[in-house]
Amino acid sequence: MKRSRAMLYFVLVILIPLTLYLGIRLPGRSYYLLSALVAVEVLTPFFMTFEKRKPAPRELATVAVMSAFVTIARVGVPIPSFKPTFAVILLSGIAFGPETGFVVGAMGALGSDFFYGQGPFTPWQMMAYGVMGLLGGLAFREGSPLKRKNIVMAVFCFTATVLVVGPLLDTSSVFITISVLSWENILPLYISGFPVNLTQGVCCFLTLMLFGEAILEKLERVKLQYGMMEDTDGV
Amino acid sequence: MERDRFSRCHPSVTFAFFIVAIGLGAMIMHPAYIIVSGIAASSYYCLIKGYRGLKLLVLSVPLFIFITLFNPLVNHQGQRILAYVFGRPYTFEAMVYGMAVAGMLIVMLLWAGCFNHVMTSDRFMVLFGGLIPTLSMLLTMILRLVPNMMRKTAQIAGARKAIGRGVGEDDPMKKKASDSMNVASSLLSWSLEGGAVTADAMKARGYGAGKRSSYEIIRFTPSDLVMAVGMIMLFTAVVMLIAKGGTAAEYTPVMNITPIGSSGLPGFAAYGIFLMLPTIMHLVEDLQWRISRSGI
Repeated sequence: MKRSRAMLYFVLVILIPLTLYLGIRLPGRSYYLLSALVAVEVLTPFFMTFEKRKPAPRELATVAVMSAFVTIARVGVPIPSFKPTFAVILLSGIAFGPETGFVVGAMGALGSDFFYGQGPFTPWQMMAYGVMGLLGGLAFREGSPLKRKNIVMAVFCFTATVLVVGPLLDTSSVFITISVLSWENILPLYISGFPVNLTQGVCCFLTLMLFGEAILEKLERVKLQYGMMEDTDGV
Repeated sequence: MERDRFSRCHPSVTFAFFIVAIGLGAMIMHPAYIIVSGIAASSYYCLIKGYRGLKLLVLSVPLFIFITLFNPLVNHQGQRILAYVFGRPYTFEAMVYGMAVAGMLIVMLLWAGCFNHVMTSDRFMVLFGGLIPTLSMLLTMILRLVPNMMRKTAQIAGARKAIGRGVGEDDPMKKKASDSMNVASSLLSWSLEGGAVTADAMKARGYGAGKRSSYEIIRFTPSDLVMAVGMIMLFTAVVMLIAKGGTAAEYTPVMNITPIGSSGLPGFAAYGIFLMLPTIMHLVEDLQWRISRSGI
């Protein structure tokens, strides 16, 4: 746990500013390349910690099921941009902790891109989905003032979708399509992304408002019943 | 699925190819380079996709036109003013810039399309299975679980219908929502409990005890080595040219595109040959096949 924090701080404080500093000196329009590199750098500490921890088969299976559930929430729901994807990621983060929540979100994004098609946006999407799990895990951890109630989770998920995760996703289109970076160029893209983020947020709000506690209880119960997140397999 | 010569290369070679093609494609703004990359990407895309490939090319035309016309609305720099829109100058330079950005975007999308065809999930796993075994295992499990859970969903819905709990087309929205939530909830429990069984099976079969094998045996062959060395040489030539500023191009406020000239020609040719490698390999294999068949 401690080493992962150190690695995260190293990436955030040293590696990313260094990438940006060197990247600005590259010739040509390197924004996209830079942004993809930064997204990959954010993913690395979480993925490496998960890899190095060598999770037990039960934990691996649980993370796989939750990521597949995220993928299905995105691929299987037939209404465009009205998908409970972020609600599922948030609940995973709350039930299994911030680090696992990040991995569930990021792998869910990667998995669903195997069905929708990979693109230049994949690293960004993985990061944005992961951040939702991370936020959920951090905000609702043991002893947090936020209670694990339907209304609290619903409002939190809506706010995080509209203010954090949605704009993060829009940022990838900024770097892919914009020629000159300036506030007046970027703003239209964020504004055009806003309705999409809003409908996503509303869908997640409704899902959590109606069924948040019920699903969370289910996750907690399975976790306890099978010792899903225990290192020793509970045997 | 039929795999062509390039797709049969070792995944490390094909993966490196796409990283370089997409990376350089996102970096170089010089129009000649964008056009070369566009030709290479679209020819290979059409070779592997056939008729469907042409459809994507046709669909990318409106995208190209939209970005070209849209860019001058947000970028007002430039010398030659064509018109005033909303009181802001609409310049020729910004329009050409828009063409370049649109071209780059379409080229990237085309390469991503080729990537999806060549780097199938099993090849992805061969590549990353050694490097990051746990995450590769996780991805395998996810990709297997998705169709599996879709089937389970249909089974649950069918079972609910059989006991008279199904929903029809004209049921109220509230009933539909709560029904789909019931299905989702059953699916979650079922899959998580299934996960426990999978985990026990993995443990019983000694997961994590040794090096994992993969579904398809893919070796790094001498021809892969030749390919890798050739790619590195071509890539180096391009990078040297980039470092010298041979690929520099500016559009606004003043259009300034470096001519390719005799000093830039080797790098430009290297870029073209590098990107045409998949197409060339596909066509050579096609030709060999035709020749050997006509010999019968």
